Amino acid sequence: MVKLFIQSIKLSIKSQIEYKGSFILNGISQLFIFFTYYFMIVALFSKFNNIKGFTVYEVLLCFSIIQFGYSITETFFRGIDKFEDLIIDGSLDRFLVRPRGILFQTLCSDVDFIKIFRVIQSVIVLIISLINLDIVWNINKVIVLILCLISSILIFFGLFVLTSSYCFITLQGLEVKNVFTDGGKYMAQYPIGIYRKGIVFIFTFIIPYAFINYYPLLYFLDKTNNTLYMFSPLLVLIFLVPCLWSFKIGLKHYNSAGS
Amino acid sequence: MKSYLNFFKLRIITNLQYRAAALAGISTQLFFGFVYIMVYLALYESNKGVTPPMNLSSIVTYLWLQQAFFALTFPYTKDQELLNMIKNGNLAYELIRPQNFYFKFYIKLIANRMVAAFLRSIPILLIGFLLPEPYKLSMPSNITSLIIFIIALLFACLLVTALSMIMHLLTMYFLDARGVSSAYNVIADLFMGGIVPLPFFPKFLQNIAYKLPFRYISDFPYRVYSGDITIIVGKNMLIGSFIWIIIIIVIGLIISKHALKKAVIQGG
Repeated sequence: MVKLFIQSIKLSIKSQIEYKGSFILNGISQLFIFFTYYFMIVALFSKFNNIKGFTVYEVLLCFSIIQFGYSITETFFRGIDKFEDLIIDGSLDRFLVRPRGILFQTLCSDVDFIKIFRVIQSVIVLIISLINLDIVWNINKVIVLILCLISSILIFFGLFVLTSSYCFITLQGLEVKNVFTDGGKYMAQYPIGIYRKGIVFIFTFIIPYAFINYYPLLYFLDKTNNTLYMFSPLLVLIFLVPCLWSFKIGLKHYNSAGS
Repeated sequence: MKSYLNFFKLRIITNLQYRAAALAGISTQLFFGFVYIMVYLALYESNKGVTPPMNLSSIVTYLWLQQAFFALTFPYTKDQELLNMIKNGNLAYELIRPQNFYFKFYIKLIANRMVAAFLRSIPILLIGFLLPEPYKLSMPSNITSLIIFIIALLFACLLVTALSMIMHLLTMYFLDARGVSSAYNVIADLFMGGIVPLPFFPKFLQNIAYKLPFRYISDFPYRVYSGDITIIVGKNMLIGSFIWIIIIIVIGLIISKHALKKAVIQGG
């Protein structure tokens, strides 16, 4: 199955770098876009020196983990992001007659390779902030960091699946979903602890952004000794259950758009 | 002139159909408004000793106005009809109409923006005014700055539309204009103060930003409203804004003339 996925990714990439000039131009603009995200934080911290006790590199670490997960999801799981298109143009009906899972086929259907530029940049920001933070490395910290990065991918994957299961009923994408994906991504760039209690509650227990970068980073940055915080990224797996489940329910109730 | 006015009216009516999209837009904008404000609040609270480049109520007002008029001042909103026309050659039909091609689409783009902004801004402004401190959108500092704000916002709309017309016209020269337009989007958004208000910029970037036309799109109107830009400076900036509008429209007209001259209409 993994082989098949890689195969289809390869095909998509090939078709996208066919137009080299436009690929490079788009890539440059991706660099620009990502730069502005980064610039926002750096500009604010040129005037202020901390945000609720977090320094600029600590915030950038938070930022890079979120951006990494989001851009990986955007790059390799684009099919699920654009799920409404599959329903509207009837491609989903074709998927139904094939001997593979629907979700799997959706993932294989499209890759937005240009967004790889954002992945690279988020890794660069991650490395920059790690170099500038005085971190006493040990095996636990390596594990935390890896868990953070993986769970960051998983949470966005889960969110995309959740929002796409809406499409089975509405037959179109809901713009409101951007609040949870784009809005959540923006929010979680900063340590969630800087926000007011209500927001912290929502983004801890309803959409668990706080578990992927805030709580584990508290441990990572020695702001707490509680080893439980180390494994908080694993809670994202629980979040995935209702996401996948709602997709399944949606699929059961799917009526073709008839095109 | 009358035909342009009728065309404007027609576009307004068409656009009013998209109310559901407006509702989605409002909730997104409200959410972002709150989150942005909370970030600044956290910053201001944790740095009591530092003198910030803008005071808290100015920045909160700035952020709400930015969210409320997001649709009016967004640097580049793609108009699919115009782009399709350019790509599939139906532009030829436009050439035989009595109206000027440039101004016709200029008016269409303005109407799109105005309706989108009208539907979204009123509820956001209302909610902003009703919120408690420190989230509250403040009243304008005085009546003169309110008047300057309204004119500045109108100019901002004229300016940003003229810029966006140029971006649409450039698609006639590039095969795939996505890269160009998204690069423009980022640069304009950055230098108009859409990402961080200009007072927060490092000195050298601030100097660049103050020389470019983009600051008249959002930095100027939103800051003059709260009194962060004084009335005397504001009056002068209105003139600057007007001059930029003329320059950008003239550039757009030249590009459209040149592009249309180059266009070869294929038979069939």
